[in-house]
Amino acid sequence: MKSHLTLKAVLAVAAGTGLLLAGAPAQAETLKFISWQVNERGYGDWWNQAIAEFEATHPGVTVELSNVARPEYADTMTTLFASGSPPEIVHLASFEYQKFADNGWLEDLGPWIEQSDLDLTDWAGQDKCVWEGTTNCIMLLYFGFVMAYNERLLSEAGIAVPTTYDEYMAAARALTVDTDGDGIIDQFGIGHHTTAGNQYTHEMLNYILDAGGYWTDSEGKPAMNTPEMIEGLARWKTVLTEGLTPVDMTSNDTRQLFNEERVAMRVDGPWVYGVMRGADPEVFKHLKLAPPPFSPPVGGSSNVITMPSDISQEKKELVWDFIEIVTSEEFQKRFAQEGASPAPRPGAVRDSVYEAVPHFDLLIETQQAAAAAGVDRIPLGLEIQFNEFAKIVRNEVQRMVIEDLDPAEVAARLQTEAEALQ
Amino acid sequence: MAVQTDLQNRTERTLGSSSWIGRLRALDLSSPRHADKLGYILLAPAVLLIFVILVYPILLSVDLSLQDVDIPRIGETREPYTLDNYTKLFGSAEFWRASWVSLKLIVVVTSACFAIGLATALLVNQHFKGRTLARLFVALPWAVPEVIAVVTWWWMFDSSFGLINWLLVTLDLADKPIAWLSQPVPAFLVVSIVMIWKGYPFVSIMLLAGLQAIPEDHYQAAKVDGAGAWQRLFWITLPSLLPVFGVTMILVVLWVFRDFAVVFILTGGGPIGATQTLSMMTYEQAFGFFRMGFASAIGVVTLVICVLATRLMVSRMAKSMY
Repeated sequence: MKSHLTLKAVLAVAAGTGLLLAGAPAQAETLKFISWQVNERGYGDWWNQAIAEFEATHPGVTVELSNVARPEYADTMTTLFASGSPPEIVHLASFEYQKFADNGWLEDLGPWIEQSDLDLTDWAGQDKCVWEGTTNCIMLLYFGFVMAYNERLLSEAGIAVPTTYDEYMAAARALTVDTDGDGIIDQFGIGHHTTAGNQYTHEMLNYILDAGGYWTDSEGKPAMNTPEMIEGLARWKTVLTEGLTPVDMTSNDTRQLFNEERVAMRVDGPWVYGVMRGADPEVFKHLKLAPPPFSPPVGGSSNVITMPSDISQEKKELVWDFIEIVTSEEFQKRFAQEGASPAPRPGAVRDSVYEAVPHFDLLIETQQAAAAAGVDRIPLGLEIQFNEFAKIVRNEVQRMVIEDLDPAEVAARLQTEAEALQ
Repeated sequence: MAVQTDLQNRTERTLGSSSWIGRLRALDLSSPRHADKLGYILLAPAVLLIFVILVYPILLSVDLSLQDVDIPRIGETREPYTLDNYTKLFGSAEFWRASWVSLKLIVVVTSACFAIGLATALLVNQHFKGRTLARLFVALPWAVPEVIAVVTWWWMFDSSFGLINWLLVTLDLADKPIAWLSQPVPAFLVVSIVMIWKGYPFVSIMLLAGLQAIPEDHYQAAKVDGAGAWQRLFWITLPSLLPVFGVTMILVVLWVFRDFAVVFILTGGGPIGATQTLSMMTYEQAFGFFRMGFASAIGVVTLVICVLATRLMVSRMAKSMY
């Protein structure tokens, strides 16, 4: 009798639960979204605004935003895709998306774009999202480098803001000093990323571009054994051997040193302004931005948004709605305002942006200068192998500095190794 | 009761006397005859768990290493078997250089850890005022999380603003700051120092435990026979510690061999490969260049080296002692 009662009770609970579930609204949908910008001032705020807008216009759908630090980002995303559980909203750096596209993991966005009102004409850097003839992403940022400098340090040394490579080097030499006389240089003219990582290659590129060189030619073939490249390598070697930059530093370290007045000049992306705002107010008033003394400036694509190819059609539609929000005119204007960077959508600027970002015209100017010169940090033809290529460059250039090798010898070796890589 | 017996008999008739229920009922696990079976049954969950968390990943690595694959995906068609990854690996100068760096690191770090570990263990095994505090300080580096410790050392060895360079220049031990992490030899030295600092407390703790297990009678007898401090060290302490030495050495060697955080944070394997170990190379190939098959081949070779080294040390230490 007791067991009959128990069985009845279980059946009653099950039936009740079923009725409740049947009467409940459709199950809430969650879109996973991972980014390295969640906690970044400006960009993080913009993402949160876009999520709020999406959730408001899609009742019952939530976006679960998680932060993964940039150094672990590629590992994390690779693991998630390889295990078959990628986030629905995919945010990737423009130098790493190609590997995911090459594996067929990213959706062909061509049909989605065609069906929508999204006009990608003159969308900055969008051509970089085309991989093997397929549009795999939407570009979120294309930028040109600017030069951040400490006005007080330069004026105290009687130096004008440099506008050419020669002036820049003269300023760097004058500003690299031992301020407290303890025999150790504690103020550097320039701050560069000089440790492991691809940023080493990006920062070196300033000198190579100014000397007229580049990693590859217009057909994507290695073009490193050229007089211009040799000159660029020689310039980088000069910066390091003369000790004009602190060594063993990441780009973040040098940004912090810039904020602490230990580095006088740093050529960097538009995001440097966000870092500068973190400086002590007394220091911040001396921190300024100017066009870089290199022509053309380093520039290029930064990060992209896309979706996986193997999620359900229903989720793809939701993700596309999210992409439409972030690429809308309103949100592109907000991007410029919040991120203090020119948005890729043409004309996405509102007047109020100049109040928050007084140097906004400078950002547009360097973005256009880089775009006009067809510059990108990721060399054409070496996109897939970029990490390995960057390591080869770093190793050979470090060897040049350590063993005092002739830049011509290094350029020849780089050419051979890059050709073997392709 | 009668109803129950009847049901039991009917069930047995239905299933037959040779059914598994009958056999299971006949298996009296409490009897000495089946004691071994009980042991196996009790061990089964643990064995299963070990298989899932230990053996399966190893088998997966071996499987991947035999495929020419960049980024594998669960559930997708596998690539055909090939030895290409191993052929490429053994023909790669980078692999041999990484092996050489790993070997150098093992020799330097293990030797130093044992020298410092033994010295500190002997010291804190003595009776003196403040011994508890001394033991705490000896063990402290082991307790500090590795990443925090490495980042702290990284700042201390910073070429431009680090404490070490400031001390060297201020004390006139160097005429200019040393580029610790940008030059091959200093970079290797820094990696070794940090690993020694992190690793010696473990050796010290293990040897201290070994020292405390040596009967005091041995020393008393040796003293009566006129043995000096050095003689007692060489003829009583060190031979008695040999089994502990063996186990500790295996653990330290394996730790140095597979440690990743120290090299990754300090140098990333540079400059020009001076600190690139096999574990760094594995990581770089897998998550830097996305060559999972090749990275797995490095992992498998590393595993084989570790197993051989362990086997060799176990045999040698066992023979030395017994």
